[in-house]
Amino acid sequence: MNFNIDAIKAMTYDAIVIGSGISGGFAAKELTEKGLRVLMLEKGKQLEHVTGYENAMKDPWETKYNGRLTIEQKESHSKLSRDYPYNEMTEKYWMNDNDSLYKEEKRFDWYRPNIVGGKSIMWGRQSYRLSDIDFEANAKEGIAVDWPIRYKDVAPWYSYVEKIAGISGEKLGLPQLPDGEFLPAMEMYCVEKEVKQRIEKNFPGRNLTMGRVANLSAAEKAHTNVGRGACQYRNKCSLGCPYGAYFSTQSCTLPYAAKTGRLTLRPDSVVTEIMYDNNKQKATGVRVRDAVTMQDREYFAKIIFVCGSALGSTALMLNSVSTRFPNGLGNDSEQLGHNLMDHHFRTGASGQWEGDLDKYYIGRRANGIYVPRYRNIGNDKRDYLRGFGYQGGASREGWQRNVAELSFGADYKNEVTKPGNWTMGLGGFGETLPYYENKMYLHKTEKDKWGMPIVVFDAELKENEKKMRIDMANDAKEMLEMAGLKNVKTNDRGSFLGMAIHEMGTARMGRDPKTSVVNGNNQVHAVKNVFMTDGACMTSASCVNPSLTYMALTARAADFAVKEAKKLNL
Amino acid sequence: MNRREAVQRVALMMGGVLAAPLMAGVMGQITNTGESLNITAQQEALLAEVADIIIPTTDSPGAKAAGAEKFIVRVMRDCYKKEDQEKFYAGLAKLDTDSQAKFGKGFVDLDVAQKNEMVKLSTVNDKPFFQRMKELTVTGYFTSEIGATKALEYLPIPGKFVGCVPLKPNQKAWAL
Repeated sequence: MNFNIDAIKAMTYDAIVIGSGISGGFAAKELTEKGLRVLMLEKGKQLEHVTGYENAMKDPWETKYNGRLTIEQKESHSKLSRDYPYNEMTEKYWMNDNDSLYKEEKRFDWYRPNIVGGKSIMWGRQSYRLSDIDFEANAKEGIAVDWPIRYKDVAPWYSYVEKIAGISGEKLGLPQLPDGEFLPAMEMYCVEKEVKQRIEKNFPGRNLTMGRVANLSAAEKAHTNVGRGACQYRNKCSLGCPYGAYFSTQSCTLPYAAKTGRLTLRPDSVVTEIMYDNNKQKATGVRVRDAVTMQDREYFAKIIFVCGSALGSTALMLNSVSTRFPNGLGNDSEQLGHNLMDHHFRTGASGQWEGDLDKYYIGRRANGIYVPRYRNIGNDKRDYLRGFGYQGGASREGWQRNVAELSFGADYKNEVTKPGNWTMGLGGFGETLPYYENKMYLHKTEKDKWGMPIVVFDAELKENEKKMRIDMANDAKEMLEMAGLKNVKTNDRGSFLGMAIHEMGTARMGRDPKTSVVNGNNQVHAVKNVFMTDGACMTSASCVNPSLTYMALTARAADFAVKEAKKLNL
Repeated sequence: MNRREAVQRVALMMGGVLAAPLMAGVMGQITNTGESLNITAQQEALLAEVADIIIPTTDSPGAKAAGAEKFIVRVMRDCYKKEDQEKFYAGLAKLDTDSQAKFGKGFVDLDVAQKNEMVKLSTVNDKPFFQRMKELTVTGYFTSEIGATKALEYLPIPGKFVGCVPLKPNQKAWAL
């Protein structure tokens, strides 16, 4: 008897955090710093900071294929290899398609990491705040449900996480893209400076600014405290940074959490179910399958943070069934799995710049320029809802140019070893509306190797997004031409949901438990001690890169959870 | 700060925790030298000769000196389907037999002008082969240690970003 009690005690923590990515890492940091003993569970394998980044310091000639995938890798990653994030250099960071089984009623690109730190290692690091234009949009337009929060609720938490993560950028004073606590902005190329001036002069209301990015343009005390150094401008971020110069779980939140002495991190831990006690009306803990030994264990805690990435988190909730919740934990609203969103992108324009051939640059800027949303703002009215922002930048051609031409020999070599022409491109990132019918659900019979039902995707872009894409291409061309670029061509390489790796929704936030899964504090309406703080909670997608918002919402929810626990409400 | 110092500074920042093989790589030694080949030594030598016409020695060494053929063989073997490999090596063989037909000797034994003529002919006679050969040669060369550091300017750890500087006379393009 005593033995059993002791055993349960050993498996009991104050809080369990499921997932170790951007949201999970922040949850672990905040909860441990507030005095809780935290167990962080990660399905992927351990990835040690610095020493684990085995490709980060490689010279090009130390790679086998200069980034190409082998036939074998294409076969073992038939879905992932459809796009660039999975390549020779990042291969070990992503889950094998044979392990990450899922079905596509419609094509969906599901990028699932397989490491501690999750996508915080490979992320694009663009970091923007949502604004009230985003938080109010659903209510104003009668789309989906209203966000239960407004910008003022999150603003202090944006500031809080920005100072910790370290966001470099420029203040603009725009209502649609609130300013943050910025480290110095990175520099623009000469071409970008000129294009910026011409666009801002010719298109009132449009701005071209430096990307706001989670790279340390200068390392402050909050960063050096945990061993982080300033950006070295190698632009190899997605391989893992040996300098800790960009925000990742490993560089930032994990060392902060570890410092408290209250964090237990357990990799190789596939959470298969959140256990629910009908008498207590609370979750009691989680069931975990060891990814290597396949042994099952149970862990218990008073507070559970579900941060397994939007789709992973929702799959887990759907799989956590009980007599009280036969369709998934906290799923009274039947909204779990619905309103699946991502950004749509891969369309824009690019052109050539004549001139500035006497200008060059030093270093490889791990960042681009940004054009904040201007469509459907103020008096601008389009035949679609919401809007898009542009990411892009200039570059000067190098040895890769003319590779498809028929030239060869000494003249060709001499030519391409000199800097080529400047070019510049803009690529739109557009908001996708939250459609109930865009959904994921669990397959009734098929399971993955860990016994989790596999996920089925049934989601697509619709008319609103398709109309917006026309503007995304044409506006880019118009601006680049006005700015003086030549031979400007639009492009649309097609966008499938999932490709932007900004998956959002499926457990939306709202005021009414009948129509939403979590409340304004990311607390599951019907299961008060469970919090979902990753992309799953997003009620609408905005058009800005979402990770900074997950950090802010997570820190805010952790603060709320600990206060509630102290009031004995959890 | 030179490269060695920069690398050592990283090692210090990391608390000297860099693993030995990684460190060897960082310090500029080639840790990935060649693979066991499933093509003949003659084929590899022929690849090297053709590559050296596409990227010859100028004021920097050419593709052969850089070992571009090793990259070509490796990428062909591991990243292309068997039918694509066969097509590619058939193209290579044809270049050799065409040389025999035209000059009475294999490609390797031609003089530089003749080799150039044969490669020029291949841009017309077998454009798919030429284009693949060129793409692999160029990538293999400019990502080799010789190509990146001798033909181009290689700065692995810039340590800063300056967006707009005057171009220096005879400035080479950045390797990265």
